[in-house]
Parts: sequence; C-alpha cells; structure tokens
Amino acid sequence: MDIPYTVSARPDTGLYNAKVGIWLFLASEVMLFGGLFSSYIFLRVGADYPWPVHELNVTLGFINTLVLIGSSVTVLLAWASIKLRQFGAYKVYMAITILCAMTFMVIKSFEYKAKFEHYSVTLTDGTILTGHLPHGYEIEFGDVKELSMTIAGKTSAVDADPVGYVLPYLKGTAPKFKTESGTEIELNKVSFAALKAEVLAAAKAKATNPKELPSTTIKLVAASPMTFSVPMSKFLARPALDAKSFTFRDGTSVEGKIINDQMTLEVDGLDVRGTPDKEKSLAFNEHYLGTAWKNAFIHQRDEAIAEFKKEFDDGKGGTSRDPKKSATQQKKLFYVHIHSAIPEVHAENGSAHHSEAHAPAEEHGAAHAAHHPEVKLERKDVQFFSNFTPKLNSYYAIYFTLTGLHGLHVIAGALVLAYFLVFDGRRLREDPEHMANRVEVGGLFWHFVDLVWIFLFPLLYLL
Amino acid sequence: MADSPEEIYKSIRKIKLIGLVLAVFTVLTVGLSYVELPTHSLNMMVGMLLATFKAALVALIFMHLNHEKALVYKILAFTVAFAVALFVLFYLSNSEGLIDEGFENPTAVMEVQE
Repeated sequence: MDIPYTVSARPDTGLYNAKVGIWLFLASEVMLFGGLFSSYIFLRVGADYPWPVHELNVTLGFINTLVLIGSSVTVLLAWASIKLRQFGAYKVYMAITILCAMTFMVIKSFEYKAKFEHYSVTLTDGTILTGHLPHGYEIEFGDVKELSMTIAGKTSAVDADPVGYVLPYLKGTAPKFKTESGTEIELNKVSFAALKAEVLAAAKAKATNPKELPSTTIKLVAASPMTFSVPMSKFLARPALDAKSFTFRDGTSVEGKIINDQMTLEVDGLDVRGTPDKEKSLAFNEHYLGTAWKNAFIHQRDEAIAEFKKEFDDGKGGTSRDPKKSATQQKKLFYVHIHSAIPEVHAENGSAHHSEAHAPAEEHGAAHAAHHPEVKLERKDVQFFSNFTPKLNSYYAIYFTLTGLHGLHVIAGALVLAYFLVFDGRRLREDPEHMANRVEVGGLFWHFVDLVWIFLFPLLYLL
Repeated sequence: MADSPEEIYKSIRKIKLIGLVLAVFTVLTVGLSYVELPTHSLNMMVGMLLATFKAALVALIFMHLNHEKALVYKILAFTVAFAVALFVLFYLSNSEGLIDEGFENPTAVMEVQE
C-alpha cells in the first residue's frame, strides 16, 4: 500500500505529511536548543570570572559560518533543480552541500583538538598562565618498596588491579615481588589472578558466613625500590604537596617520596585579571617569567591606559567610558600574549633586561619551544590546571555542549542528505515530485542547523 | 509553492541573493564585535539583533515561513511561547549577577563592596 500524501497535500491541512512531521520535529528541536541557550544565559550571568570574548579562533568560526550559509543555499538549489528536472545539477548541488557539511566538521575538529592540547594553569594568587605541556604533566615519586591493595569480599566492589593501573607508570622494568607467604612472583595478569584466588580462598575458609566475605589486603614487597612517573589523572585523589603515600585509581596504595612534581609549561599567555596585586604576580618570579616579562606587561598596560585616555577623552581630565566596564580594555591591560621566548625590548625600558629572560635552553631548541618561554612551575604555586575542556570553566562546559550537539546535528543532516543522493536515484527518476518533497524536508532540517549556528557563532566566538 | 519554471527561476535568484545578504551580515557581525561600543551590553544587543535578523531571513525565506499553511504556524506558536519563557527565566533568578562588573576581577569587586 502506498503511503498517502507523500506528494500531494492533504486537503484539510494543505500540507504533505512529511512536512507536518518535520515541523513537529523542529519544534521539539527548538526546545532542546532553547534549553541550552537558556543555560548559557544563566551561566554567563552567574560567572565569577571574566567571560571569554574573542577567545576562540574567530577566523575558523567565520569560515564555518560561511560554509553553513553556502550549504543552505546549495540544498535549496538542489531542490529547485529537481523541480526543473535538471537531475545532473541536483546531484552536483547535493554533493556540494554534503562536502560543506564535511568541511564544517573537519574545521570544527581542528578547533576542538587545539583546545584539548591547550592548558590553563591558575596560580595560587589568581594569575592564569596558558600554554602547552610539551611532556604532559606527571608526578614522579620514588623509593617505593611495597604495593598494598585491597581485595573486596563482594564481587560488586571496586577491585585492585595493579597490573592495569599501577605497572604502566613504573619506570624501568618491573622487579620481582615477594608475597606475604614468601613466594617470589613476577607481577603480571596470570600471577596476580592466581594470587587473588589464593587470598579469596583463604578468606572463604576463615569466614563464618561465606556470603559476606570480609575484604582482605595483599602486600607485595618489591625486590628493589621502584620509581613511578604518574600523570595527575591516574591517581585516585591528587596527592598532597608533601604526600608520603599515593593511591592509584584501582585503590592500590604505595609509600614513597616525591622526586619531581614540577609542571613544564610553554607559556603563550599571561592573564592577571584575577590577581589582586598584578605587578607582584607569582608569574613574574625570577624562576618563572622574570622581570623582563614584568616590564613588558607594565609597558603594555601603560600604553593601553594612555591610548584609552586619548580615545575616550571627555575633555575634563577623565574618560567618557569606564575602563573597568570595557572587556577589550581589561584584556589589553591585564592580558599579555606571549609569542616569543623573550619579550621585545622597548626603548624607554632600554636596560639590559632582555638578557635576564628565560630563553629556552639550547637542548630544547625545537622550533615550537623557541616561540615561547618555558617555565617549570612548582606544584605549591599551582592552584588548578586543566586543558580547555568543560572542566576548565562553565564557558567551556556550555561551549562544548552546544557545539557538540550542533556538530551531531550537522552529521545527522549530512547523513540524511547523503542517503538521498546515493540511494534514492530510482525515486528521483520515477517520482521526482516525491523526491523534491523529501529534499525539501531534509533541507528544512539543514536550515535549522544553520539557524542554530547563526546564534552560536556570535554568542560563543564574538560577544 | 512556486511550481512553474519561471517562478522557480525567480526563487533561485532570491535564494542566491539572500545567501549573499547572510554572508554580508556575517562579516558585519564579526566587524562590529571588535568595535568598542559604550558598554559591552550594547555590543551584545547589536550582535543579537544582527543574528536575529539573519535567523529571520533563514526562517522566512529559506524555510518558507513567509507563506506556510496554518497548521505549521499553530505548531510553532507553542514552541515560540515556551522558548520565550525559557529566555525570560533568568529574570526570575534573584542572583545579583555580574553583568556589569563581569570583566573586572571578582576579588576587586568584592573589595569595592566592602
């Protein structure tokens, strides 16, 4: 049986069925994105940090906007081509539309990747340093002689798994371990499973109620002291500054001492908007950015103040505009872009301060590092660090939620249009009016995706 | 629905023109976002007005909402009502907000208030 009203309009509504369907769907889509846009307003109004303005790559966002507008035009041209029975032109326009969708996603993925690899470090005085972690961030601790882990009596509880969660971070090869019973083992999946079974069997034999086995602990003594190098995220909880014991994510704990917990950061930005005493920011310590960058910061700030005074002179010795309410001015005053290993020397500060700057050492002379000073941050000075992901702040949380959901819509829309192009050839030849309606409905969804981006682009990139 | 070839050709011209207008307005949006208006709220208002205008063009012309059947408008009436409710929700929250002071550092704001 043929589905009625796929081509002609239903007399009572004046619409073919799919059109009613797509509008009902789009109505619910508006509510979905509406809720998220509403969240955006709440998060922005309640933000207790300067909301990022022009922080994303505006050029890429702009290109993506044009790409989506272009694809909206071509999907309409594809529809018009069917109406004119120009099937060749239809295929070309449809292919361009799908290519645009792919271009959009490729550009978006470059933007995402840049954010994943970029880090923001908040120092204890509120100063924010941004940059890249060339070696990741790992805590190194040594002098570890013993692994101790808990084997849960209940199977539902989290179980120790030192082979999967501890050994990967061991420096050098794994030593032999001695169990409590005195046997010597090499720690691997098989030997650990055997050990665990042995312990559980012993616990079972002792237990009065076999259904409620108590947790038991296993201690493994290493033949020689071990050293671990562990990324921060691989700890169950971040170890304290002077920690003597460390717990891995599987609950295995060890005792040892911290050998090195410095974070090497290739600095590309300095933000003192949240620092109470900006000139005394921790970042200007001699072993970090040093006085050269401090002078560069002061120079930039004073220049911005002078420029602002000139531009907004109210003729009465003040300014017609409150610099504190200007996002751009606040950024010019307190945000320093760092693109060189040492700051440019300004004539009025013409002392020899450039020689004090922390140029990267010769062995780090890679092209990338040469553009940025490399600082080794003490962990006691770091309050918080994260890459530019939802964890960093509510701006990035809503950015990834909104653009992620929008990206899924781009993919879904492109799949539907690609289906029309690839698998609907027979319908195109035999029932072009039906095909035109299909393309119109797919196009309506595609325009909606474009429409959402029209709001996303200024809200996230520009304002 | 425009069905005769002449009308289709006419609508193709219109589609291309609107596409161009949208691109021009995008350039305008980007450019104006770099212009310092007296307050950043004004920047936001201008940006949102431009975006709304662009969105209206897409909805009215590309999605043919300028001449649609009554049922579609009836469906959308509900959506519009609920969506508007979502956007005025934040007026009901009684947080002080940092709309004006948001670009200063929060500690400084606190110091001033004390």
